[in-house]
Amino acid sequence: MTSLPPPAAPLPPPVAAPDVVVAQHGMIAVNDVSKFFGSVVAVSEVSFAINEGVTALLGPNGAGKSTLFRMLCGLTPASRGNVEVLGKDPRQDRSVRGRISLVPQQDALFDHLTAAEFVSFAAQTHAVPDPKAAAASALEMVQLTDVGVKPVGEFSKGMRQRVKVAAALVNDPEVLILDEPLTGLDPLQRRNMIALFHRLGDEGRCVLVSSHVLDEVARLGSRVLVIAQGRLIASGDYHDLRELMDDRAHRIRIGASKPRRLAAALVDRGLVSGVSVDDTGLFADTLDADAFGRTLAGLVVELGIHLTEVDPLDDDLESVFRYLVEGR
Amino acid sequence: MTPLDALPPTSGGRSRDVPASRALSLTYRVVLRQMTSRGRIIALTLLALIAPVAGWALGSADADLDDAVNLIAGIGLGVVIPIVALVFGGAAIGDLRDDKTLVYLWLRPMDRWPIVVGAALAALTLAASITVIPVVLAAALTGAGSGIVGGTAIAGMVGVVSYIAVFTLMGVWLKRFIVWGLAYILIWEGFIAQAGPGVARVALRKYTRSILVDRTGVDLDLADFSLAAGIIVPLLVALAALALAAWRLGSQDID
Repeated sequence: MTSLPPPAAPLPPPVAAPDVVVAQHGMIAVNDVSKFFGSVVAVSEVSFAINEGVTALLGPNGAGKSTLFRMLCGLTPASRGNVEVLGKDPRQDRSVRGRISLVPQQDALFDHLTAAEFVSFAAQTHAVPDPKAAAASALEMVQLTDVGVKPVGEFSKGMRQRVKVAAALVNDPEVLILDEPLTGLDPLQRRNMIALFHRLGDEGRCVLVSSHVLDEVARLGSRVLVIAQGRLIASGDYHDLRELMDDRAHRIRIGASKPRRLAAALVDRGLVSGVSVDDTGLFADTLDADAFGRTLAGLVVELGIHLTEVDPLDDDLESVFRYLVEGR
Repeated sequence: MTPLDALPPTSGGRSRDVPASRALSLTYRVVLRQMTSRGRIIALTLLALIAPVAGWALGSADADLDDAVNLIAGIGLGVVIPIVALVFGGAAIGDLRDDKTLVYLWLRPMDRWPIVVGAALAALTLAASITVIPVVLAAALTGAGSGIVGGTAIAGMVGVVSYIAVFTLMGVWLKRFIVWGLAYILIWEGFIAQAGPGVARVALRKYTRSILVDRTGVDLDLADFSLAAGIIVPLLVALAALALAAWRLGSQDID
């Protein structure tokens, strides 16, 4: 599913039309959910459904990601609407809690325990058979097998993050909710962790990962939920999201041997809505990137122009995010 | 780093409901270790040691039974036991909530009451160890006879159990449990409850003092409950407090 709200400043309306609320179904189903803290609206009329695989929840700090995650785990009730995880209400149904795991954002652990003790404790609180073996397996998945008996209170931030992830994996959850799990990890650890998430998703688990870092989300997967100021402002594949923004020009950097001639030809053929030229190339703004790409190749051959680069500047998540959130 | 494809398959095993006894013992162990910080233990032990030092001083001065009972009722039952119980009882769940580790117990397939009872028992273990022995020792050091020692032991245990339960409830319910607890100990029990027998009924200190009065025959103000009431009422209050704490834990927001 890919849906996109019409752009508007400061925020576009939510994905679902507000007057037609369609019940969502999935491993995680969020139906018209709002959360208020007094007069503060933390989450507003959010609806979505996701199933197995990795889904990224993108939003700036304070957008409502953690509040949404807390509702998904039953840690706080929705003020309006309803949340279902695996068909159950996680706030009311105790049995479903054993099938969900949360990696909380806060850097909180039982600091006096070793990594093995902490993860084993998590296994015991899920009544997992053979908790020590389950803990060892989970720690191996996050590459924390050789940390000895040092208490987790003395661990680095990255190691603590991996301990939290291991504790979340120890009960073999069907739904895994990770709130900013890559914080504090070095690049190699991030890569391995992202690969682990994909593997878990490929195994049929529903993996929902939040981040405010665009680069991380782009690597986490193409399925994205975008949230800002408590509202779900877009959902779907972020490449598709970008394509659907057909009322906004794509900006493409083209390195060319004869930039002025190429610019004139592009304008003559109506392929660009705007163009600016410098010594080494040009910036072209086009409303139809596909048609632009198809025509450009033939055009440069026809004109005898040598291309050195063709770089879509706003095909990344940052531009999608900036457009959706800030309307620019 | 291990290559990803060399990693073992996920094999943790599906979670199951955790039996109440297991949930209780797991909570007890983790909370006991979490609360056992050296600074806290030393500071509260030093506070508790005031009682035996004062008892020894009184005994050395050949004080009578009235003075000994007033010392135990004032310092032991009025300050040492409630203050230490406040620190540990409030922290039992309150610390977990404040440092955000409560989620590791709350988000599990287990009942709420074993979490509360396990945490309260951990607090009771520490508070009773630190307070009851020094306060009973203080009673013995006064040299005022065996009645005061036995009465102090009973009153001390009843007091620490009931205070721990009430302050555990405060730790679950209130973010500033220390402030509210001190207000209860110093203002309510220490001041308002002195106003008359009606108000005294809702002050735990009056019940523990009544036990001491019953066992020694010494008269203390507004401490005229029977031995049975002195024991049973605080224990019923403790049960009610723990039940309320369990309900509250299940219904409140968790960070």
